[in-house]
Amino acid sequence: MKKYKLSFVTASVYALLLLMVGSWVSIFIVEKASLTLLFTEKNLFYASKFFKGLLGIDEESPAYLHAENWKNALNLTFETLMMSVMATGFATIAAFLTVVPAARNVADGSLTLVKKWHGWLSFGMVRGGYIFSRAVPELVWAMIIIFIFKPGVLPGAIALALHNFGILGKLFAEVIEDLDSRPVRNLSSSGAGRFQLFLYGVLPAALPRFLTYILYRWEVIMRTTIVVGFVGAGGLGQQFKLSMSFFHYTDITLLLFFYLALVFAADYISEKARIFIK
Amino acid sequence: MQEAISLKQISKIYERKIALSSLSFTVNKGELVALIGPSGAGKTTLLNLLAAILPPSQGEILIDGHPLSELMDHKKRAKKIGIIRQQYDLVGELPVIHNVLAGRLSEWGLIKSLLSMLIPQDKEYASQALRRVGLTDKLYEKTSSLSGGEQQRVALARLLVQSPEIVLADEPVASLDPARAEDVLDLLVKIALEEKQTLIASLHSVEYARKYFDRLIALKDGEIFFDLPASSVTDDQIKSLYRLKEIS
Amino acid sequence: MDKRWLSFELHKRKILTLILSLAFIMSLFSVEWNSELIHSKGLETAKQIATAFFTPDLSGDILILAMESSWTTLSYAAAGMSLAIIIAFFYGILASGIVVSEGNIKRYIRPFFRGQLGFMRAIHELVWAWLFVASIGLSPYAAIFALAIPYGGILGRIFADMLEDISPEPIKALEAAGASKLQALWYGYLPLVRANITSYAMYRFECAVRSSAIMSFVGIGGLGYQIQLSLDDLHYDEVWTFVYFLIALVIVIDLWSNQLRKRLVQ
Repeated sequence: MKKYKLSFVTASVYALLLLMVGSWVSIFIVEKASLTLLFTEKNLFYASKFFKGLLGIDEESPAYLHAENWKNALNLTFETLMMSVMATGFATIAAFLTVVPAARNVADGSLTLVKKWHGWLSFGMVRGGYIFSRAVPELVWAMIIIFIFKPGVLPGAIALALHNFGILGKLFAEVIEDLDSRPVRNLSSSGAGRFQLFLYGVLPAALPRFLTYILYRWEVIMRTTIVVGFVGAGGLGQQFKLSMSFFHYTDITLLLFFYLALVFAADYISEKARIFIK
Repeated sequence: MQEAISLKQISKIYERKIALSSLSFTVNKGELVALIGPSGAGKTTLLNLLAAILPPSQGEILIDGHPLSELMDHKKRAKKIGIIRQQYDLVGELPVIHNVLAGRLSEWGLIKSLLSMLIPQDKEYASQALRRVGLTDKLYEKTSSLSGGEQQRVALARLLVQSPEIVLADEPVASLDPARAEDVLDLLVKIALEEKQTLIASLHSVEYARKYFDRLIALKDGEIFFDLPASSVTDDQIKSLYRLKEIS
Repeated sequence: MDKRWLSFELHKRKILTLILSLAFIMSLFSVEWNSELIHSKGLETAKQIATAFFTPDLSGDILILAMESSWTTLSYAAAGMSLAIIIAFFYGILASGIVVSEGNIKRYIRPFFRGQLGFMRAIHELVWAWLFVASIGLSPYAAIFALAIPYGGILGRIFADMLEDISPEPIKALEAAGASKLQALWYGYLPLVRANITSYAMYRFECAVRSSAIMSFVGIGGLGYQIQLSLDDLHYDEVWTFVYFLIALVIVIDLWSNQLRKRLVQ
């Protein structure tokens, strides 16, 4: 038996190496993308022009020297922050509402001592929904959502939530699956109804991990807000796209600065919060 | 004397094993019964059947004259039957008070259950129960920080709050050292007498069974080996109960 | 109310939950909830998009286009990951400080490399993509580098964490037997983290495929590019075809990754 398992792993590694080699081959030969062409003088010229533009060299009035621009950027930063919190909130709520049937130990009745006929069916449907939700990248969700909603913070939050709901759902379901079912079953013998089982049995044990996952996802969502902004979902990203199209590179430096500040702040808060509840 | 529990021809058959075959006995209200027998004899299975956690393959169980199968609403069932096991009954992360108050869950609705998580409701039930098991100072401790013996006493407190008519105990003292075990058994029996509960406990120590219980039902290989008052059980009977099958 | 009930320890998690919920509710106030939110024809469009979900365009042309785009997306992701792994390998080892002896150098090397990893990770791959496109044009390399850098950063950081988390005993034993720092790395550290890091890398590969798909948003080929084109033409059925291909690609890798991880965690 051991030999078989080893083979799968080794075979996979070889397959992956093959994939990577094949990809490079495809890129070099099929697409004729040459590495040397990359470093031609023309390209280097454009590249340096670009970077100079970013830094505001040779510019009469670089954006980051004007207080007004800083104020605008601050507003956008706040908007982006709200978007990230909203998105995380929507995703969490949606995941909570759907997670119970998505846990294997609920579907087969081992957690709650109650076996419903639709156990595995609900399981499959909810899990399928999760897979669909997380397989579609946030940007694609955003592109679709923008057709329905007018540009703003809400469509961005919804698009981010649509993608992350599947991720959180899967993670939450795994937490429930890892639970020790004995205290829960015992609560059932003491007369606890479904809601009470969840509140007294599942939540106390699962809450720490739930919170950790929520905080981790918030960090990722924070980074992705800039991306949904590209398609018009508001915040720093939208302004980024605008400045890009007008070639106002110094604007972009300012926006990037705030973006990085926001991301680092979110990482910091998330880490502190996780330590707090340890 | 009322019949609290009545088993008629109960069998439980699994794919490869007959766990219980054709058991019949009755237990009267207020009796203290000990289930003894070698491991694998079917004691846990029997208790699970009585608690309606498993359905019997054949036969009928009557509780107070009514079939157990009719007691499907587990809130009503919780008022009739309570169960305590060897360990891991309690939600470790919760403070003791919530675990004890869980006995009230069958009475509480949605809102009250939610509210109690923030501000414990019906606290007097919990404090009284904990007083009776001798753990008043542990009210707000995290349950998992208590010792094994203390945790079993918390489980007893929960049973007190739940106050079912019938108490089933599955090896309640198996993981405790002798001093704690006697404490817990003492409490278990005392409470059952005070609350006029019917108690059925499975034990692997015949000594304890004889010491604390009125009646011994012995199971071997899924059948009743003997069913006698504690005082009339002889040592020879005990020996043959636990004797391993001879390989002939 | 009993003083002890109010003790802090018991309620930490509830407090955090409360804070988070409040933050969420506050965020809802930043939106003006009125009918201005939805396009005038928004609901109608939503219906169209929803119905097209069930009728993806399965004509030969589109299918071939979808398969080509899928390969493009996949190959960029694989190429990007291959670079990311190399970056992660070197940065991870350096950022964990295990090849450097204790002392002043270590004190500065660790934060230096960790900081770089942090910077690489902080910027979303799409932003990197845009930066590369603006400087080297619409070349596949823009996508590849744009994937390699942030993913290298993420993998590198996790790799460094794993190396640091290893219990010191086996390593000390090796060193006592005469191994140098590099030998300890090769024979001690690496075999111990091998399973873990491979499993995490597979998981990230799946993410990379999705990221690669959206690279096309900055103009580089792939499934995302096709999705955008079809959306602009309002051909919702085509859009769903490409989305389905993307989902299929992601699911295949996800399943493969799960199988691999199950067998690695022995």
